[in-house]
Parts: sequence; structure tokens; C-alpha cells
Amino acid sequence: MLEAIGWLATGRSIRGASRETLVRHGADRAILRAETSITDKQDLIEAEIPVVRATRTQLNRRPIRRHAEMAPALQVSVFSPADRRLVEGGPAERRGYLDEVLVERSARLEAVVNDVEQVLRQRAALLRQSGGKLDPSILTTLDVWDQRLTMSGTELVVARETLVEKLEPLVSESYTHLAGHFEHVTLTYRRSWTGELVDALRSAREQDVRRQVTTVGPHRDELEIGLGFTPARTHASQGEQRCIALALRLATHDLRLQDALEPPVLLLDDVFSELDPHRSAALVERLPSGQVLLTTAVDPPPAVGAHRVVEVARNSLLGRFSGQ
Amino acid sequence: MYVGPLRSLVDELGRLPGIGPKSAQRIAFHLLKVESEDALRLVDAIVAVKERVTSCTICFNVAEGELCEFCSDPRRDGSLLCVVEDPRDIVAVERTREFRGRYHVLGGALNPIEGLGPDQLRVRELLDRLSDGEVTEVILCTNPNLEGEATAMYLARLLVPLGVRVTRIASGLPVGGDLEYADELTLGRALEGRREVDA
Repeated sequence: MLEAIGWLATGRSIRGASRETLVRHGADRAILRAETSITDKQDLIEAEIPVVRATRTQLNRRPIRRHAEMAPALQVSVFSPADRRLVEGGPAERRGYLDEVLVERSARLEAVVNDVEQVLRQRAALLRQSGGKLDPSILTTLDVWDQRLTMSGTELVVARETLVEKLEPLVSESYTHLAGHFEHVTLTYRRSWTGELVDALRSAREQDVRRQVTTVGPHRDELEIGLGFTPARTHASQGEQRCIALALRLATHDLRLQDALEPPVLLLDDVFSELDPHRSAALVERLPSGQVLLTTAVDPPPAVGAHRVVEVARNSLLGRFSGQ
Repeated sequence: MYVGPLRSLVDELGRLPGIGPKSAQRIAFHLLKVESEDALRLVDAIVAVKERVTSCTICFNVAEGELCEFCSDPRRDGSLLCVVEDPRDIVAVERTREFRGRYHVLGGALNPIEGLGPDQLRVRELLDRLSDGEVTEVILCTNPNLEGEATAMYLARLLVPLGVRVTRIASGLPVGGDLEYADELTLGRALEGRREVDA
């Protein structure tokens, strides 16, 4: 169910699941339909997800081209146990986390993110064609792609750095609340170069041509997360890592609350199974206002004042109980 | 499903861009139904295009004969040169009825992924055209996407040192439209390129 809501809001699986696994075994398509209501505005969202061919999504029976058009009707923030990869995974996870937030906040930055990806693909193709040699015709076109990468890449990195500055106090605050004691979480954005990107690309050029990849740029940067001044990726316990991941999600949720008048729907995918009772209770207490949907395989903390509870066993609904 | 000639007609039509199996079938049955002379007119048109339409030897626009209609028209201003990716872009610029200069068709944009570099585009031919000094301004009219912008940047690097004036078309809002329907990127670009209003 969370998957369905997440898909309607974002146009992709919140777990990164493939198309086949989204569609019931033996069926050729999945149909999703949701009625949403924000203050006094009602919307109808429908989606058809075939195993093959393109998916179709309609908002109030009108087809939409890009999922960003869905934002006024339905926005979600997703929390799941897999989020721990933000802390223990590779740098790409953390860059992806930052870019995801930026894309949500600005159409212009969405274009910048896409531009950087496309320039890197074009540059990689050019480096492959060079066959490891720097001949003049490759050099002149490489100059052009470097200039493009500098323009878009610098804009992206500046936006990431500004975002990190805004996030850091929010993450610390959330973490402290979840952990139950004060702990400083530091976020440090590390560029993979110093000075102007265009100069860095020039000095790395020989190496790039030899290795046929772009070795400096926004795709090589790192967001370092520290817990009490030690790197969280290597030094924090699993419990602490989960807690930091949750704090990262809560921080972006807070940031969204600052921007948008309407809070996004929170989707909590089985987070209590990963947290001890104390942290679970702290999370419930810390949950921002707005609609929350959560799934759990264990008993939720007593503080969860569920409006409605749906019990599922062996793929079928056992019963619906109105909550406290 | 179908036999012989009808089958091959459906197959051939289906190979055309933008035509799927159902459209191919509908067109094939339409052609089967119409008068012979109507169908043969289409055949003649296709044959004529393949036999008579060539590429202009100066600007690489589509042409009938050696030169295209713009290169052979003496009333066109030879000092203004508009560089486009594709002959279809010329049609678009011509619709403005504003441009009285000549054109140069590159045959694409820089795109290493698709194997398009300067050597695959008509860049050398463009430089040759500038050697006699007749052209004083080159308007870079490539598409406003990543590859088009990169191509414009590349050409500017080559052309500016030659002392010719190099300009790039602006990005902005469609005239006669409503601001509320403008996409965010175009509107963003338009804001960037805003101009002082004279009172």
C-alpha cells in the first residue's frame, strides 16, 4: 500500500523495485487509483503500470507528462530501513539524497542535475573515442564539454553546499531527539577538486584520457557525516546509523514544511522493526504534523495513536479496526 | 496475416518514423481503396524526391539542382549567416519572415554518444565559407538543448578569433501565450535574460 501511494506521488517504486515485481504475479498490469484531499481541494489520481510498455498517469482524468505536475495533489516523504545505506553506503547514496531534495525544491536545479549527468555521459563517450590519446580535435571538443560541466557542475555543487548548511542543524536536532541525549551530527560537503572546476578538469585531463573516465566533478564529491566528530560511516554502530538515516529524512521533511504550506504524506515502511522501543517512541513523538501511513511487522509503540489499523496476513486483509 | 504486396506495403509503411503497426495498416488499406491515379501521384512524388532533391553544395540545405533557393537568390544578404543543425530548422527560421541572410546546415550537433564530432558535422565547410570575408555576422541557431548549446560554444571558440561577429539566439517565452502555461525552465531563462524597460 505504501508502495502504491509512493508510486502515485513519484512515478517510481519507493523501494527501487522493478516493474515486474510491482504487478501481481500472472497479471499484465497494475492499476492504481487514489482520491486525495488537501484542505478543500479534491483530486483523483490514476495510474496504469503495465509490465512492458510505458506507464500512464492521469490527474483528474487528464494525462500528465511529468510527475512533478503531481506535486500539488500528492507529495510524500518516505522512511524505510533501507535508508541506512545513506550512512553506511557509498558516496553516490549521499549525493543522490542531496540531489533528490534539490530536484524537489527547484525545477531549475532538476534541469541542472540532468545536465550534469548528460554532460558526463557525453564526456565519457568522447574519452572512449579518444582511445587514450590527446589529439587536437579531441582536445577542442573536450574544452567545450569541460566548460559545460563547469557551468552546470558548479551551480549544482553550490546548491548542494547551501542545502547541507541548512540541513546540518535540523539533522542534529532530530538525532538528539531520537537518541534521547545530545549528540552533534556534522555534515561536511567535500568537493573532489579545489579552485575552479574548469582548471581542475584541465589538470586531470591526462589522467581522464588514460582512464577514460571523468575523475573530478560533482559526481565524485562526498557528503561526510560525522557523529560526535568521528565518521559515522565507519565508526557509528548500526543502531546509530539507522538513527542518523532517520534524522536525515526528518530534516528534509522539516525543510519541506518550511517551503510548502501543505505537509507531505509521510510513509514509514517498517521502521519500528529496526529501532529499539526507546527510539521508536522518540520517533513517534518527533513525527511532524500531517498524514502518516506506517507499516510494521512488530507491535507499534503505544504512543502511536492510529486513526485506522489494517491488519494483513498471508496477502489478505484480516480485518479493519478503527483505532484509538 | 496479409499476402504478398499488401503485406510488404504494411511492412514498409511501418518502418516510417512515427507510424506504428496500426497506422501502417490503416494507410495501406486506404491506398488500396483510392483511385489508382491518386496512389500513383504519391509514388511519383517519392520517386521525384529521391531523384531530384539533392544537398546544396554551399550550405547543405535541401536543394533541387546544385544550389538551394537561398544560396541562389541574389537578394539574400550574404553578410549574415545563420547556422542551423538541420534543414527543417531553416523552415522554422523562414517562418519568421524576418531573416534575410543565408544559412549553413551543420547536419547535427556535437554528440559523442552518437559518434558525432566536429569531423562529422560541416564545420570545415563553414570555416571555408568565412574565408573570403563577405560574412560579417554568424548567428548560432542550434537547438537550446545540451548538445545544441555545446555546439554553439564550440563554434564560438572557432569563429570569434576570426574577427567575425558571433551571436546566439535568445531563449524566452512564446509570444501570445499565457505566463501561467509557460514551463519553469523557459520562464527561468526568460527571467535571467530580462531587459531594462525604457520609460
